[in-house]
Amino acid sequence: MHLPRIPIRFAALLLAFTTLFSGCKPAAQPATSASPAAAKRIAVIISTLNNPWFVVLANTARDRAKELGYDVTIFDSQNDPTKEATHFDNVISSGYSAVLFNCTDARGSVANVRRARAAGIPVFCMDREIEASDAAVSQILSDNYSGTVALGQYFVKEVGETGDYAELLGLVADTNTWNRSKGFHSVVDRYPGLKMVAQQSAEFDRSKALEVMEAILQSHPDIKAVFCGNDAMAMGAYQALLAAGKTDQVKVFGFDGADDVVRSIAEGKITATVMQYPKLMARTAAENADLYLKGKRDFPQRTPVTVELVTRDNVSKFGDYGRKN
Amino acid sequence: MAVKTSQHSFGAWRLRLSLVTVIAAAALWRFPLFHVMPIAEPAVLTGTVDVETVAEKFWSEQLPAAHAADVATVVATLQKDPQAAIKTYAHTVGLGGTAYFFISGEGRVVSRERDSVRLAVGSGADAPVVDLQIGDIFGNTVRDATGLLDVNQFSSLEDFNTLAGALNQRVESRVLPVLRDRAQIGALVTFTGCAEAEEPAPGGPLLTIIPVRAEVH
Repeated sequence: MHLPRIPIRFAALLLAFTTLFSGCKPAAQPATSASPAAAKRIAVIISTLNNPWFVVLANTARDRAKELGYDVTIFDSQNDPTKEATHFDNVISSGYSAVLFNCTDARGSVANVRRARAAGIPVFCMDREIEASDAAVSQILSDNYSGTVALGQYFVKEVGETGDYAELLGLVADTNTWNRSKGFHSVVDRYPGLKMVAQQSAEFDRSKALEVMEAILQSHPDIKAVFCGNDAMAMGAYQALLAAGKTDQVKVFGFDGADDVVRSIAEGKITATVMQYPKLMARTAAENADLYLKGKRDFPQRTPVTVELVTRDNVSKFGDYGRKN
Repeated sequence: MAVKTSQHSFGAWRLRLSLVTVIAAAALWRFPLFHVMPIAEPAVLTGTVDVETVAEKFWSEQLPAAHAADVATVVATLQKDPQAAIKTYAHTVGLGGTAYFFISGEGRVVSRERDSVRLAVGSGADAPVVDLQIGDIFGNTVRDATGLLDVNQFSSLEDFNTLAGALNQRVESRVLPVLRDRAQIGALVTFTGCAEAEEPAPGGPLLTIIPVRAEVH
């Protein structure tokens, strides 16, 4: 039997080339076009389901993804970054195809998105921004700043150019909280007669807003208005004002376009809100995920979604988390 | 005999070397010692954007060179068919339909309020009217009206929103003083400006324009 004779120099050369080029394979890509036969599952990871607005966001994302042919599971992070990280662990180990994501922490959640990406699972952000431009495939975001600029102008018109007011902030780690606050203050701070006497976080939560508003009213009984960073807090603040008998004295301004607040505007209880479009955002995120899994790659990183001021003058045009058809 | 043994042992050594080489090459191919990764193309500009630099470049270079629709043409179309005017002349931003006009032209001042001057565009008692804002400037209209600035050039929405404020500040400091001082009733104003594209309210101006350039004659 004649075996091939390999000269020592050739053997060394072969080993060197193998060593050099064996690593030059394409890097693992986030899940590419899945075969039709493969089970395709999409995870919807939501900051909290203890707020009707986010329930609408989650359910719409789930329903649209189902329409597109995916099995869908909703994960509730309960506003807890630790729970969110655990959800990502489960999603990665369970082999989901994509994540439709509403984060708990703009900065802290980036690591979760990066872990999913490294595992080949693309992430599509909805409503809340993460502080990275190279982690998620796309971010569909409400134009909070524009909305609160319009709300701030209406606030000055309704409250006047003088008087004390309070602000209830959302989660301090959420960029929406600050984009809303900055948009509002970009207008209201131009009027030196309008004085903010209290600014406290109620974490986007109705119950906490009730407690915080009660405390503010103890310290500042003469305020003329309260700006709340979302509608859940607006309803909590309104409850506190109702209990204190101050609903005629203090005007309440919210943000979201939740159904109960839209009804309250029609009834004259809440002064104004800003309509976001959770259904539009959720549907777009689900459709982006579907397009991605079918091979599309050129998504804009951030896409702003229009918001609209809702007041007693135009409230009849709104309902069911959007404009009426 | 000794030579034969030596040749045998050399042949066996070569055989072992061949096998070891092939196995090592296969192992290295399967389990490479390192990976060469492609450098991902950045989706956006990385790092902190100097918003003031971007604002000044936009204001002094891009804005003067941007194409503006003729205000007389836009208002004439708005009077007949607002949706057609928006579709033809406005620039849409993001999802949901917010749209902006970038327009230029001239008009004569017919009335004046604290925060605006009203211009008649054209002649005659029934000439269409538009408002030029001369009060505090808020929002994203100046930033978004030309369509030349994209949120994805920035590392966050916050930077993009800061840019809107920087441009509004330029309008207030560089454009509005001449209008506040000299745009009295009867004066002819030539302007370039930005306006949100909305269906006009009954009895109101056809457009409410934030001027980015203005001369009073």
